[in-house]
Amino acid sequence: MNNSLNSKSNEKNIKDEPEQKVKVSLLESLMNLAGELVLCRNQLMQGISKTDMKSIESSGQRIDLITSELQDAIMKTRMDKLASIFDRFTENVDGVGRNIDFTVKGRDVELDKTVLEGIEEPLQNLLENCIEFGIEQAEERKNKGKSENGTIQIKAFQDAGQININFFHDGVDEKGKIVTKEIVSQIEEIGGVLETNSELKSAYEYQIKLPLTLAIIPSQITSVGDEQYAIPQANLSELIRIPANDVKKRIETVGDAEVVRLRGELLPILNLGAILGVEKSWLDESGNKHPERRVSISDRRSKKYTENGNVVSLKKPENDLKERKPEDRRKNSSKAINIAVVHAGNFKYGLVIDELYDSEEIVVKPLGRNLKKYKTFAGATIMGNGKVALILDILNIALNQNLATVEESNSIAKSIEEKNKTNSVKESLVLFKNLETEYFAAPFESVERIERIPADEIEVLSKRKVVQYRGGALPLFELSDTLNLSKLPEREQLEVIVFNVNNRQFGLMVTPPVDTIEVVVSVDDSTLKQSGVKGSMILNNHTTLLVDLAELSALFFKSYEVE
Amino acid sequence: MSDNERSQTGEFSTFYLGGELFGIDILDIHEINKQFETTRIPDVPDEIEGILNLRGQIVTVFDLGKKLGLHDNKSEAKERRNIVVDSKGEYIGLIVDKMGDVISAERSRLEPVPANLGGIQGRFFHGILKTDNKLVGILNIDEILKEKE
Repeated sequence: MNNSLNSKSNEKNIKDEPEQKVKVSLLESLMNLAGELVLCRNQLMQGISKTDMKSIESSGQRIDLITSELQDAIMKTRMDKLASIFDRFTENVDGVGRNIDFTVKGRDVELDKTVLEGIEEPLQNLLENCIEFGIEQAEERKNKGKSENGTIQIKAFQDAGQININFFHDGVDEKGKIVTKEIVSQIEEIGGVLETNSELKSAYEYQIKLPLTLAIIPSQITSVGDEQYAIPQANLSELIRIPANDVKKRIETVGDAEVVRLRGELLPILNLGAILGVEKSWLDESGNKHPERRVSISDRRSKKYTENGNVVSLKKPENDLKERKPEDRRKNSSKAINIAVVHAGNFKYGLVIDELYDSEEIVVKPLGRNLKKYKTFAGATIMGNGKVALILDILNIALNQNLATVEESNSIAKSIEEKNKTNSVKESLVLFKNLETEYFAAPFESVERIERIPADEIEVLSKRKVVQYRGGALPLFELSDTLNLSKLPEREQLEVIVFNVNNRQFGLMVTPPVDTIEVVVSVDDSTLKQSGVKGSMILNNHTTLLVDLAELSALFFKSYEVE
Repeated sequence: MSDNERSQTGEFSTFYLGGELFGIDILDIHEINKQFETTRIPDVPDEIEGILNLRGQIVTVFDLGKKLGLHDNKSEAKERRNIVVDSKGEYIGLIVDKMGDVISAERSRLEPVPANLGGIQGRFFHGILKTDNKLVGILNIDEILKEKE
């Protein structure tokens, strides 16, 4: 078997293998580094056999250094000059024979082969588009007062670990005709970005920034369920951790999508576990994994907006257990949430993950041809422990989930806020009860104070109840005095809302809890109407009667006079 | 090496899938592993077992039985093997139920296959080999692993 295999691979070598030139000095560096690595390896093996920790540690450090140097040197062997592409461009432009002065700078700038291969097509397209749609004909330019010949210039240079390629022209730039969406995504596919320099007048500069190599990228290692996933550092903006108590505060729902408020912006969030179809898990204090049973991120009630921007509820009464779905019950109710804020193309969103690990430089390995169609993953890498971690394709995840772009998200957020401000004015209401199941609301602006008064402080003067209050006598009423309701039960302590209506103060005895809410008041004034009641609304899932304080107080005080 | 250049006498590694015997040209096989811990890929079809770290290379591993459309999974875990083939320059793993013998045969003795053989599409075979009293379906790996356009 061995012989036939060898002959087969030898034949392959002779015919198919491309060749490459490498500087002799670079090869010598590689030889030296290999030699040092061998020495270090011998030291390490000795240290291991003698279990000499000091020796092992110092060898380990040396090996760390040598590996980095080797990595750099080998990377250099894979570098190729931009000249190959640039020279071809120059030929092409000359061949077209138009009124164009074309210059290139930085032919000698070196790029990793993979990046070089990836940038050729978008650059070529950019050039062709510029020639066709950018530089005007000589006649037109003369009429505009421009030089007869248009200028196109490509300048390449290395800066701070990135390759910069600036594309400059002094023609016109109709939106999307020169820098097309296709070009932008081709550049992003190789880990680069394209920015337009808006400082220039009647001239245009597109700045392309590329990573030095695609082969090794810094990344953030995360996990969902049992597997680890890598997020390229180039796509990572920041990491957020939302403590359990803040979850319902910071995670809101817009329509049926969940968002998190990040410094004023609304950021859409995606649950990585849900996208991958993996069961999420969480680690307890002793590091044991448990399956996560929460269905939606903001399990308990948080601020909800309906599609037309109305707030439905702010807080839910705590004793509401029967409405919890079984899926919402979790083993551990105090669960913080980790979000990786990522960006790619025009998308910015948060990715909910289980755990965060270290930031690591990983070697990018392509996935086989049968897996290339699963765009969620950009490749794979081998972790230190030999296990494979998949690399997430942040752009494709956004596309697959039909995520709104940053522009769209912000405009949705804006329209929600404007809605809330303009046509629907929100009012503050105070909520209280008469009997346990009778819910009422009144305008908060008329509330002076909320007091708790011991029953024995109430005095009765000619059948009217009063209490000493701030140097005067405060008349006390309850809703059953004028409305068709049951009287309040005898209590030791009385909850009293002190209202001030038309400059008359009175105390309304109610059943707690007394709460507040901000809503757009839309009252159903057909059913349940009586004197003193404006109508009904559904608040916090209860039919709530909105009292007409003016009418009510008039009725209260009238009842005094009658008696 | 194209089919034309292969010698007249071929050697075929045989294996069982769902009780039936199949074979692959030994020249297409890179190695055969007993232990293989694949990393699951979420949300992909059942036939993809996962990916494997093969000494620094990421290799896609298929459950060959499922890939061929066979649903009879009678194999015992300890007998399963991962056959790593070289398909168009890429290493790909194929999990089979149990290994059989290596057989030698003249390539000319490969008989053509009907459009459908035991529930498997005819195009997945190079041909059928009749040896002793056994029928071995010789598989066309490149065809099996071809992705739909």
